[in-house]
Amino acid sequence: MNNYANTILPSMSAIYRTHMKIIGDILTTTRDDLPDEQGASITYLIRKANISHSRISKILGTLVSQGLLEQTNSSGTFKYKISNVGREFLQAYNTFNKFADSFGLTI
Amino acid sequence: MADFFLESILNLVGFAVGMVIGTISYIGFRNTGSPTLFRLTLAFFAIGAGFIIMWVGQTADMFVYKTGQPAQWVQTVGIGVQTVGYFFIAFSHTIKSFFPKSGYLRSVGVVPLFLISFISIENIIRSISFILLAYGAIETVMSYFESRRKTALFVAAGLGALAFGEFLGWYYFVFPQSVLGVASISTKIGGLILLFIPVTKVPLTKMKFDENL
Repeated sequence: MNNYANTILPSMSAIYRTHMKIIGDILTTTRDDLPDEQGASITYLIRKANISHSRISKILGTLVSQGLLEQTNSSGTFKYKISNVGREFLQAYNTFNKFADSFGLTI
Repeated sequence: MADFFLESILNLVGFAVGMVIGTISYIGFRNTGSPTLFRLTLAFFAIGAGFIIMWVGQTADMFVYKTGQPAQWVQTVGIGVQTVGYFFIAFSHTIKSFFPKSGYLRSVGVVPLFLISFISIENIIRSISFILLAYGAIETVMSYFESRRKTALFVAAGLGALAFGEFLGWYYFVFPQSVLGVASISTKIGGLILLFIPVTKVPLTKMKFDENL
């Protein structure tokens, strides 16, 4: 398994699926729905992903450390943009989400 | 000879479909780390392996041992391995109950089970396969109503056809020498082809199979 998949997808439980969906939503937002060129702030992502600050902070930290998101410091606030690796991961996620959906399952 | 030919087609189609879907699931698992795709990988590799074990048993008997009846234990192992695959598909849908709750289904289903379950382990395994496949088909239909993804209908129909094929094969032991054997194999081949349809929709051209994606 890929390093980032090992790290950001820790368990095989129901929580895992929610976690995976949240990651998909965050990556999709940072790819398709950025408020400005600098990237999306944590507040913006919290609103889009609809999760708590503490939870999204952990997820963002992991996504940045795994190279799926790029973090920039703009006027004292951190902003996030999807990286090329993140785009490839998101493409794989969307493709195999449809594949699993065909079997009536969710990845 | 005709039976051998038909069963060979079934086993080879089953092996090919199992391996292709298993490989795609594995690529998905490597790219996303999804446990669902890992279970699908195990499921379809097991299904493919089960079919090829049965094919090897039949072919060895046809061309090497020439007894006219493939070794029963090889067929049982093959069906057992396939059932492990069906179990993983059903498990992915989170099995709530192993047996249908409907009184009608129970009354229809129990009769052949009661008649043949003492004949061989193979028949017990077939009955488990039937239940797992029927469960998977029902759950897939239910998920179609949520997602409205048409490919889910093909998978549901495929699993349903495999279940029906098992059901017919089950009765074939009760009524041997009937057309049920051919009908069972043909239905299963149709089911496997239906299962393969969603795979043709997966655009794998840009997928990387790489540790450093």
